[in-house]
Order: sequence, then C-alpha cells, then structure tokens
Amino acid sequence: MSQKSERRGIHVDQSELLCKKGCGYYGNAAWQGLCSKCWREEYQRARQKQIQEDWALAEKLQREEEAAYASSQGAQSQPSLTPFSKFEEKKTNEKTRKVTTVKKFFSPSSRTAPKKAPCEKVEKVSGARERHGEALLRDLRGMFTQPWEMMSPTEESHEGKTPSPSISRQSSIETDRVSRDFVDFLKNLQKPGREIHKQCRAFIENMANKKDLGADELSECVQDFYQNMSDRLMTHFKGSTERVERVMDQVEKYIMTRLYKNVFCPETTDDEKKDLATQHRIRALHWVTIEMLCVPVDEEIPEVSDNVVKAITDVIEMDSKRVPRDKLACITRCSKHIFNAIKITKNEPASADDFLPTLIYIVLKANPPRLQSNIQYITRFCNPSRLMTGEDGYYFTNLCCAVAFIEKLDAQSLNLSAEDFERYMSGQASPRKQEPELWPQAGPGGGGGSSPGLTQVYQSLDLLTGLEARQERVLEGARGLESDLISWQESVEREVQEILEKYPLEIRTPASAIDSDNVENDRLPPPLQPQVFVG
Amino acid sequence: MAASGAGSGSKTYSFKVVLLGEGCVGKTSLVLRYCENKFNDKHITTLQASFLTKKLNIGGKRVNLAIWDTAGQERFHALGPIYYRDSNGAILVYDVTDEDSFQKVKNWVKELRKMLGNEICLCIVGNKIDLEKERNVSVQEAEQYAESVGAKHYHSSAKLNKGIEELFLDLCKRMMETAQADVRAKGNGASQSGMSRRGVQIIDDEPQAAMAAGGCCSSA
Repeated sequence: MSQKSERRGIHVDQSELLCKKGCGYYGNAAWQGLCSKCWREEYQRARQKQIQEDWALAEKLQREEEAAYASSQGAQSQPSLTPFSKFEEKKTNEKTRKVTTVKKFFSPSSRTAPKKAPCEKVEKVSGARERHGEALLRDLRGMFTQPWEMMSPTEESHEGKTPSPSISRQSSIETDRVSRDFVDFLKNLQKPGREIHKQCRAFIENMANKKDLGADELSECVQDFYQNMSDRLMTHFKGSTERVERVMDQVEKYIMTRLYKNVFCPETTDDEKKDLATQHRIRALHWVTIEMLCVPVDEEIPEVSDNVVKAITDVIEMDSKRVPRDKLACITRCSKHIFNAIKITKNEPASADDFLPTLIYIVLKANPPRLQSNIQYITRFCNPSRLMTGEDGYYFTNLCCAVAFIEKLDAQSLNLSAEDFERYMSGQASPRKQEPELWPQAGPGGGGGSSPGLTQVYQSLDLLTGLEARQERVLEGARGLESDLISWQESVEREVQEILEKYPLEIRTPASAIDSDNVENDRLPPPLQPQVFVG
Repeated sequence: MAASGAGSGSKTYSFKVVLLGEGCVGKTSLVLRYCENKFNDKHITTLQASFLTKKLNIGGKRVNLAIWDTAGQERFHALGPIYYRDSNGAILVYDVTDEDSFQKVKNWVKELRKMLGNEICLCIVGNKIDLEKERNVSVQEAEQYAESVGAKHYHSSAKLNKGIEELFLDLCKRMMETAQADVRAKGNGASQSGMSRRGVQIIDDEPQAAMAAGGCCSSA
C-alpha cells in the first residue's frame, strides 16, 4: 500500500523537501526551496537592496531636477519618501504571496510548479534591476497600487480565471487602470508630473486617515486640494487655463476613483435615507403624465421615443460612474438626448421652458438609483471649475432643480385639483383608467390622443381575432381531410374486395410429373442403382 | 466668483448670466438672436437655446459669457435660487405688451436683491418693441423702476435685432467693473476662489431656505 502511494506521489527525496538553508524545517518550492522564515529573510534582503538602489537613482534624478528647477516644491516631497519605501516592501510581500497561491491553483500538477515558479521569480527580480531607467515610474506604480496590481500579464490572466472574481477585485481592476492611465498621462509632463503624482498620493494617504470626518469636512479637504493644485499648476503653466484644466481633470479622476468607496454616500450623512425617500416619492408619482407636466415631447414619433429611452438610460447610468466628472458627463448626455427629442417634436431649438419639464419627466420615468447620493457626491467632490460655469454645470443645476421640483410637487404644479392629486397619490384612482372608456368610441386602431400602449393592445386584439378565424379554417380543413382520408381508405378497401371477388385466386394442381413432357428423357441412362461391394 | 480665472494675471473673464422672465416674453429668441444672430429661422442648427456661450473681446480683455436660460413657468418659480446662485449678471425680460410680465420682473428683482445683494448686475429688458402699438407698459414707469432698484433698462426686439448687442455689451462692461472692484476689495485671488467653492453647496431638502439665510423668498 505504502509503495503504491509513493509511486503516485512526487518523486523527491526527503532532503529536497527541507529548507535549502538547512535550518531543518521543510522548504517550499514557491519560496525557492526555502522555509517561510528563511525565505522572508532572503527575499527582504534582496528587496531592500533593490529598493535602496532604486531610491538612490530616484534621489539622484530628483537632485538633478531640483537643481534644474531650484524650486522650493521639490524639497517638500522629500520627507514623504521614507515611509513609502516601507510601504512598498509590505505590499510587494503581499503580492508574492498572492502570486504563489494563484500559481498553485493553476499549475497542472504539483511537479511543474517547483520548476516554474523560481525561475519566474528570478527573472522578475533581475528584470526589475535592469529597469533602472524606469525606476521612477516603477516606484510610482509599485508603491501606490494594490499589491497584485503590478503583476505581469500572464499572472493577470491567471487572476482573471479564478472561479469567483469578487466585486472588490473588479473595482480594483478599474482602480488599477485609472492609476496606470494617470501615470502615463503624467509621464508626458515629465518632472512636474512626478511632483503631481507625489502630491496626489500623499493626499490619498492622508484622506485614508480621515475616514471619521463628516462629509462636509471631507469635501472641504478635497476642494482645498483641488484649489492648491490648480493654483500651483496655474503658476507652473503660466496661466494657461486650458492646460491646467486638462491636468486637473486627470487629478480628479485619479483621486476620486481611489476615494470613491469611502466618500460616496458616507455613513456619517443621511444621504441614504434621502435616496430612499426620493425613490419612494418618484414611485408614488408613477401616474404623472406628459400632459400634466406639459412636456413638449411626442413619444408617438419613434425617433423621439428612442431619444427618451436613451435619456433614461443615461441618467440611470450615472450611478455606475465613480468620477464626478464622468457622472456629469452622463447628465450631459441625457440632456442632449432630451434636446434631440424636443427638437424633433417641435422643430425648433429647445429653451429652458421646454427642457426642465422634460428632464423632470425623464427623472420620474427613470427613477435613477441613489439619486440624492450622486448629486451630493458631485456637489462635494467635483472640481468647482466644472460645476460652476460650463455646460455640464448647467445641466447638473437643472437636474438639481428637477429633483427639488419632484420633492415639492403638489396638485397646483400639475394643474390638478387637490382631491384628484390625493386620489392619485393614494392609488385610489389613476388618470390612465379613464382612457379605456374613450376607447370604444375611438375604435381600435384610431387612437387619437390615447396612449400608444392601448393602440397596440387593440391592434394585437385585431390580429388575434384574425388569427382565430384562420385557425378555424385550418381546423375545418383538417377535419375535411380526416373524413376524406377515411372515405378514401374505405373506397380502396371496397375496390380491392371487388377485384378479389372478380378474379378469385385459382390454384391449379399440376396434371403430371415434372418430367412428363420432357421428350429426351428416354435417352438418358437409367438411374443409378445402389450396389453393394463386398471386399 | 466665476471670474476667478481672471484674478491671477490672465485677462480672461468668465461670467455667468442668468435669463429670467415669464414664459413667452421672448427670452429664448433674445439669446438666440445674440449668440446665433437668428430669429424664427427654419434652418437653426442649434440643438438647444437653454445654455449658450459667447466669447467677447472688450477693451483688449477676453470675456467668456455663459448664458443660462431658466424655465419661466410659474410652477418653477421656486427653483429660481438654484439657477441664479453665483451669477454675475441677470437679464430680466418682460414683454412690453404684457403688464403681468413686468410685474413678474419686479418680483424677480426683489428676490435677487434679497439673495445676492448688489453683487449681481441687473438688466431689465422690455422686449418686443416691434409691437409698439400694443404697448402696455409705459417707458417712463419701467425706466423709473429700473433706476430705483439700481438696474439698467433696455428696450429690445429680437425680431428686428434691435438693442440686443448694446444690452449684452453694456452688461459685460458692468460685470467687469464689479469683478475688478471685487479683486481690489479682496486683495488677492485666493479668497475669491474660496468664495466660489462655498457656492457649490446647493441641494438641500429646502433649496430656498438654505439659500435665503437672511430671509425667505418663497413668499415672493
């Protein structure tokens, strides 16, 4: 028995299983044959050395930079360097651990793993050393991305194959992508880019310690940061607002993607309660019609209803974005679709008189998730230069107006009597219920002024009636066919019978032996007779 | 405020101008005529006339004008404060043939002064002077009223393209003066931008109440 299991197992000597350092503990292939303790020591030493080398280079670069710049800004970033190097260490350790576990899952047998893992490791370490030229970029990335974010593409694909990728992992992938984009973007800016990245990182770190603050304080922090950053950029770019804004957009994207989880709808606020209240309110107002709001949009035109649907989709999509500016972009897209719908209906450019009621209608129809939280989030954390002026700001303001209107909406604002409003709100009556009475007069298909849904219902009913008649015909035919078949069978049987009677089967018995009419028979020799031979 | 970009050396001013007035007084025609030079044109390519921008050059200084149209229906009156917060200027339009629309303008002026003080430059515009024969608001009364509230009064016709250029040019000059006075009073640009941030806090359960701070406008 024991022999059998040995044969099936891995072919290694006992000595190979032990730690290569000879400390007596078992080693692990993933740790280059070392035990966990020795591996940690070994690895950290290598890491430390590499980090020191990298930092030496980075500092050298920075000194050159500072000399070139001779600015006071460079000095500020210095103190933040040391704590981060420790940070990196920890994260990279985490990273390796994670990698090995993933490897274990996917290596086809435990035998291949020992060969593969170490050489990859070695490659990585030496590879990293070679990339001294990229030390700067790598450091930026390595320190501030999630532990596993630095993985090589192959490792990432392993990661992707894990049976149940959690949501947090997906969102981390997004974070990773944003970080990478940010670094790539800053690369174009060269030296100031590095400075910007440092500032952002320091800020994010800083914010992580401020989780207990109220939403307003958090907003204050972020806004102060925007302010400082844009002031500095303004000095650097010598007042080129356009370039400052471009950088600020990236900064916002990077920072807010990372802070999102902590600052969107924080527990310290009643945002969530408001979300629910608004959601209920909108649900209770489901009966509000286009006519009550005087919306200048004719949904019977396919192109218009198409735009309405798109607008609804866009405003709902807002919740899925993380960056305030992306959320704003959703609102802007929604607004453009609304304008399109109005323009097609009215054939003239939409004014605010047309736009706001339509937006209200869209919001009522869409009931966007977490509407209040999203508005609050944008208000608190969007770069003010976007929100204050500009087109996006205008549409956002209109959305705020629409929400405020929906909250305060009463009988008067819909031109209804107070009783009607009450009845509709309580669900005792529905303005749509009166419509069917009009229907018999209008007749199916002649839907003047009635809802397109009803027209469709009547059309469908028409079709159904037609279908019924046709089915009747088909059934009749089938029945006819059945009786035809039966009578055909009968007639065939009858015919066969008749023929059988007409030509009865006569079996004539043969008159003579088979050979009787064979003339030549006489010439044949006589048949052989059995003879008995003795002897 | 919105002109904060102007504070730090660059010569570009950004102004937010809000258009107020009852529906049908011709707000949209006015602004379309100004920005696109079009009136009732079947070939207007503009998708919308609710947010328009115009770039100007006044005395060597660049001005970016953002014109915010507002919904004029009575039922949206209460939403006004959300629209006009942080505006540098307001254009209050009435129809010279419609006495009621002039009364509305008076309400708006009262409200704006209460909420924004003298920071905001007000223009009162009597539109549709091409319908002079049907005039219902006397020139003298309107001009007197405008003077009494520190606003300028203009007559315009979007149809005939009269008085519109002047009105916007004048408003821009006044807003520039206000912005410059602001810079002088505040010393540096930093406090200016700090102010612009405070304005971002908007949506509350009760927008008006939050904005009012001193007095409530919902009665107006």
